[in-house]
Amino acid sequence: MFTHTPLRLATLALLAAAALTYAAVAGFFGLEILAEIAILAILVIALDLVAGFGGMVSLCHGALLGVGAYAFTVAANDAGLTALPAMILAIALSTALAFVIGAVCARSTGIYFIMATLAFGQMAYSFVFQSPLYGGDDGLSGAPRPDLSALGIDLTDSRAFALYALLLVALAYAVAAATLRSGLGRSLVGLHHNEKRLRALGLTVWRAKATAFAISGALAGLAGCLAAQHTQYVSPGLLSWTVSGEALVVVILGGLGTLVGPILGAVLFVILKHEISALTPYWHAIVGLILIAVVMSRANGVFGFLETRLAARKPQPQVKEAKADA
Amino acid sequence: MTTDLGFWVLQTLNALQLSMLLFLLSVGLTVIFGLMHFVNLAHGSLYAFGAYVAATLSGTLGYWGGFLLAPLAVAVLGAGLYFSLIQSQRRAGPMAQVLVTFGLIFVAVDATRLVWGDLPIGIAIPSFLDGQIALLGVEYPIYRLFIIALGLAILALLTLVLTRTQVGAMIRAGVDNDRMAACLGINVERMFFLVFVVGCALAGLAGAVAAPVLSVTPDMGLQILIPTLIVIVIGGLGSLRGAVAGSLIFGFVQTFGAVLLPTLSSVLIYALLAAVLVTRPEGLLPAKG
Amino acid sequence: MLETRSLSKSFGPIQVTRNVSLKLEKGERRVILGPNGAGKTTLFNQLVGELRPDSGTIHLDGADVTALRVADRARRGLSRSYQKNTLFDGLTIAENLGLAAAVALGKGQGLWSDPLQSAEVRETVRDVAAQVDLAPHLDARVDAVSYGIRRQLEVGIALATRPKVILMDEPTSGVGPEMSKGFHRLLKALPRDLTILIIEHDMDLAFDVADTITVLNYGEVVFDGLPEAARGSSLLKDIYLGAWEDA
Ligand SMILES: Nc1ncnc2c1ncn2[C@@H]1O[C@H](COP(=O)(O)OP(=O)(O)OP(=O)(O)O)[C@@H](O)[C@H]1O
Ligand SMILES: [Mg+2]
Repeated sequence: MFTHTPLRLATLALLAAAALTYAAVAGFFGLEILAEIAILAILVIALDLVAGFGGMVSLCHGALLGVGAYAFTVAANDAGLTALPAMILAIALSTALAFVIGAVCARSTGIYFIMATLAFGQMAYSFVFQSPLYGGDDGLSGAPRPDLSALGIDLTDSRAFALYALLLVALAYAVAAATLRSGLGRSLVGLHHNEKRLRALGLTVWRAKATAFAISGALAGLAGCLAAQHTQYVSPGLLSWTVSGEALVVVILGGLGTLVGPILGAVLFVILKHEISALTPYWHAIVGLILIAVVMSRANGVFGFLETRLAARKPQPQVKEAKADA
Repeated sequence: MTTDLGFWVLQTLNALQLSMLLFLLSVGLTVIFGLMHFVNLAHGSLYAFGAYVAATLSGTLGYWGGFLLAPLAVAVLGAGLYFSLIQSQRRAGPMAQVLVTFGLIFVAVDATRLVWGDLPIGIAIPSFLDGQIALLGVEYPIYRLFIIALGLAILALLTLVLTRTQVGAMIRAGVDNDRMAACLGINVERMFFLVFVVGCALAGLAGAVAAPVLSVTPDMGLQILIPTLIVIVIGGLGSLRGAVAGSLIFGFVQTFGAVLLPTLSSVLIYALLAAVLVTRPEGLLPAKG
Repeated sequence: MLETRSLSKSFGPIQVTRNVSLKLEKGERRVILGPNGAGKTTLFNQLVGELRPDSGTIHLDGADVTALRVADRARRGLSRSYQKNTLFDGLTIAENLGLAAAVALGKGQGLWSDPLQSAEVRETVRDVAAQVDLAPHLDARVDAVSYGIRRQLEVGIALATRPKVILMDEPTSGVGPEMSKGFHRLLKALPRDLTILIIEHDMDLAFDVADTITVLNYGEVVFDGLPEAARGSSLLKDIYLGAWEDA
């Protein structure tokens, strides 16, 4: 079950402090990177919610993000909505789509679930890619940033935008953490461990899965809106399954099922990407090697490694007692 | 146009050619999954590697040199992968396998870029397979007919091996029930290795025959991966018949979809896949009852 | 309270449930006996809805539930434990019981509060832990406790839904005679209005808890009556001895 251990709280506080400090001092390029980290962080929070806690390893989260980004852009450009209603509309669409995908795939597990989500993700990708309405291969530009001038904030300024992005990360984290501590979140973890038993206890499994997937989809949609506002341009590449694969990689590098770990993973991944790609055009290969090494080491990513290290130093007294009893 | 017989013949041949190419790729992947429960996302990269080796060797040894040596080279690479990664990840669950082989894709793409560069490489069709032939009223490239024939030949060969030989019986027993197979005194480890390497060689062969019709690029492995996965999931993981059925379904839906319903064509195949997964989560012709 | 009418089920050519008609009154404690492969577990699977019968009907508390799904039957007060442990392995014992209680209370899909912290759930966890003797182990993770304790948890999870009818599939299978006796003491202390159907191999222990006995052989009810009558008949010995000789 999800709990805020002292290590997790400390890591969160540290991440928040570092991000705010960096946002205060960084130059334009640094702020761009910060926004990029924030977008990825929201996406991996969404993915960890279902994959890490519910065992629903999804390869359609890139598509959910992309749908959010496109819906936001279209709603703002063509329907003439201002940024906030457009965001709500876009997130609603991602949520609804994720609910349907979650409901339809609820019966599949393991590799079949992965493949089924891949199919739905690719369906959305092909649809956007082929549709001339949405710019096809060229994508769409002109997504607006929210107008917060009433509050005296100018989001066209990259420092303000980075702070706004960080705020959305905090919001996404709060939603995910609250979900995990709700009845649904408890059931989700239970489903991961033993779906059959939970059904025998009276849980409507498909609905629990679909609802959890929908919440995750809402967060992915939020990440999509932010991505659209950040670059003010969307392309079908956002929906590609490799985006989902990359998000999964980040979750794994950070620590699956820890919620905090994937955020750390997003920070490391984006920094690593920029550092390595400055040195060599083959940065994907380096990421691939790191991924293989992490998975083969059997550690649960960077954060999981820290957690087990700390747990090994301070063994839980009750567990020992129970063992001695047995 | 659609009332013209030639149109149907032409598109049917195109569909068959695509189906056979996918069959060569998917059969190895699916039997490996059925036997070892291993999901190898890097299977497409092996195909790309095969294409590159064929393209490189054809410069010096001619087309047939590449054609023969590419599967061999990929088999050797596969053997290396087997001992370094696959073996240790066999029991690690689908998630770890997907991730490790996903990491391999990253490495493979950049490795090919490093060695062969980013630009597409062309490869010439051997002279006696070059040109067109008149068939049922249409002119059709001989080389594409060769791909169809090769696919059918490999299909026949595999069917023969699986149904008529002792190794085939062992593999079928292993797909059915691996513990039972081990009880029957089958050396499961060696069988796994054999199947994995043969699967790799077939992927290499697919790469070699595809090289002249498609352009050889670093991301060709990534591009073929999704269709291959769709084929084996529609057909049913682990089954030879499923790979055949899945390849044909994919080839025909894709080809005819593109000419008859151009706006919907690519969504069509994914919708079909989703429909299959919803109604028959184990695929159309699963290996196990 | 729980009734089946001519329930039948075949796996291919093998009929594993033949025309089984059972009737349990409210508060009745019935033990099902029968050799390995008699179809006892298969009968349970049909009762809870994990398996569809080929023919016949199942009634719970007066309503026909044959067409209902597993979760729907559970919500009507039917609960079961499994012959093979079916627990939430990575969680603590308290979380296992709490999850079961939360789902049964309809809090399994809620979004706005943590059911594990709710008074109702905590009370259920405490009560059930006392009923199956798990109180000292509540904070231990399932994978850190002994097999015997897991066996008790298996039944505890089923009890945590506060069922009207509970089905226990060999609750003491694989545990030693001492622990098994202790478990039967716990069973006897359960509330008298709970309807209990238990599959049990140990005949002495079975006679100890049973109000009534049903004997299954080759999927068929070959005895249905009071323990005294069962003890007197040679039927049981024949069946069990027959099964032993076959083995
Ligand atoms: N899903 C299934 N498919 C085919 N046969 C099955 C299936 N489940 C059970 N059987 C068969 O049905 C028969 C009855 O099995 P069941 O598990 O109900 O017996 P049981 O009385 O519970 O035995 P035990 O005392 O060993 O638990 C056995 O022969 C078993 O092999
Ligand atoms: Mg049984």
